[in-house]
Amino acid sequence: MDRQVMLETARNMVATIDDLPTIPAVATQVLQLLNNPDVNVDEVADLMLADQVMTARVMKMVNSPVYRPSQEITSLKRALVYLGLRHIKEVALTSSFINAFEDKGGVLEVAPCWEHAFGVGMVAKVIAEKIHYPDLEKAYIGGIIHDIGEVVLSYYRAEQFAAVLEMTRQRPIKLIDAEAETFGTTHAEIGFCIAERWNFPEAYREAILFHHDPRAATSDPVLCAIINLADLFCTVRDLNYGGRSWVVFNLAEEDGWLILKEQFPSLAQLDVERFCYELDDAVPDVKELVSSIFSKA
Amino acid sequence: MAISDKDFELLRDFIYNLCGMYFHSTKKYFLESRLTKRMEATGTKTAMDYYSLLKSPRGGEELRFLLDEVTTNETYFFRCVPQLNAIETKFLPEIVEAKGKMGFRKLRIWSAASSSGEEAYTLSMMLLEKRSTLLKDWIIEIVGTDINETVVAQAKEGVYNAYSVRNVPDLYKKKYFKEENGKFILSPEVKKFVTFNKLNLYDDTKMVFMKSFDFIFCANVLIYFDLAAKSKVVQHFYNNLQPYGYFFVGQSESLHGVNDKFKTIHFPGGFGYKK
Repeated sequence: MDRQVMLETARNMVATIDDLPTIPAVATQVLQLLNNPDVNVDEVADLMLADQVMTARVMKMVNSPVYRPSQEITSLKRALVYLGLRHIKEVALTSSFINAFEDKGGVLEVAPCWEHAFGVGMVAKVIAEKIHYPDLEKAYIGGIIHDIGEVVLSYYRAEQFAAVLEMTRQRPIKLIDAEAETFGTTHAEIGFCIAERWNFPEAYREAILFHHDPRAATSDPVLCAIINLADLFCTVRDLNYGGRSWVVFNLAEEDGWLILKEQFPSLAQLDVERFCYELDDAVPDVKELVSSIFSKA
Repeated sequence: MAISDKDFELLRDFIYNLCGMYFHSTKKYFLESRLTKRMEATGTKTAMDYYSLLKSPRGGEELRFLLDEVTTNETYFFRCVPQLNAIETKFLPEIVEAKGKMGFRKLRIWSAASSSGEEAYTLSMMLLEKRSTLLKDWIIEIVGTDINETVVAQAKEGVYNAYSVRNVPDLYKKKYFKEENGKFILSPEVKKFVTFNKLNLYDDTKMVFMKSFDFIFCANVLIYFDLAAKSKVVQHFYNNLQPYGYFFVGQSESLHGVNDKFKTIHFPGGFGYKK
């Protein structure tokens, strides 16, 4: 199917959702503040502290076993410094994004969705580290947000989306292909449109749009490849939407793997089996992070 | 005896690098209990003393005892459910379609370390369930081999205890077992597809005759072999598979660095190797 047509379909679909969550005021202000080249971290921290929910989420994200700071980070300012000044924007957006969708489970339940999201974030960061990708946080955040389109479909198109999931159970069809058949577009295009509306930076928009087709990426194909692979690994290692998505893949034929190997030939030596087993070991950490983020305490 | 996380990781890495078996952190308690037995047997006091023993010239011999402890009781019906699901959902239909197109309606499966037969019979039951659909009019041959004659005889007998059948879904248990005095007797229907023989995987002259399999399983055996022996045996498995056939090892095993011809195929909860 033509991607432009699918994008158009996605745009139209997103436009018809009249209660699509908006970015909280504080996030908008943070984004505005960050447009000022002389911004300092104190100002941003002060502004974000006005939103207690956002502050709490950032603190939980940064102190999670997934991120593993050497000591617990107790101030928002230090958290922002730790995550990297250049990432405050994404942190604010991600936190808002979690906020906006925390009660919007739909067909996919909230916890398995976020376990997949944070799992992909974590694995993307590990892969990024292995190939010396210069921006680990970008990989992490890109991983967290890659499936925002899925969350939207699951909540706003619940009935049809349930039928899509049923389709993937009845015959060996990939979720994304079943979506294209049913909606004429997929969670990748829908996610892209949401990211556009929310003014996510270009690299993230691209990562969302091309996480199933990293060869199509033009701005940062390596980032798309990292997220593509992280997504595949999570889907086969118990961070798979509670077993709702059934995937089989031959790593040697996956575009994400091939792109990364072209750039970083040493990746061919990776002990993939052990990588999977270590990922199994990290699954409880991810689940713990998600339950802590969504706990009301 | 509790071992620290650091010592656990050290031992886990050492064992993995030596034999390709990975201990998940969820299995720490299990490894502790087995280690405790070996430490008592060898008179070592701490995990670190035991680690030194494993690294010493006597280490190879001791590792075999440890692996025996670890893999004992690992033989039961429906042991690796993710593997079975992947075969049932994806790999079997794929092979049936490819062979069906060629008019070659015969399926051959090898349980290469069959022990008392649970794995081979599990597959037999799974395929029996498809007799009226996917595998209608297909010839099914399942071969189980083991180096140990005693277990080969047990496999042929097909009588099991409650532990062996604890994972068998009720439907299968009712259909394919008869319970008598706490023993579970396998129905002849399941047995008729399966033959058992004694075979040493290291015996080249015999291995070359094990031909044309669609699926080969070999769990908890390769871990006992050094790299050279492992490579040799795995190469036999490779040769003995049909084009596009699949090879599976145990749930926590790895063939990394053993054979670069197989392609790793990932599926939910595991992976297998494809020719």
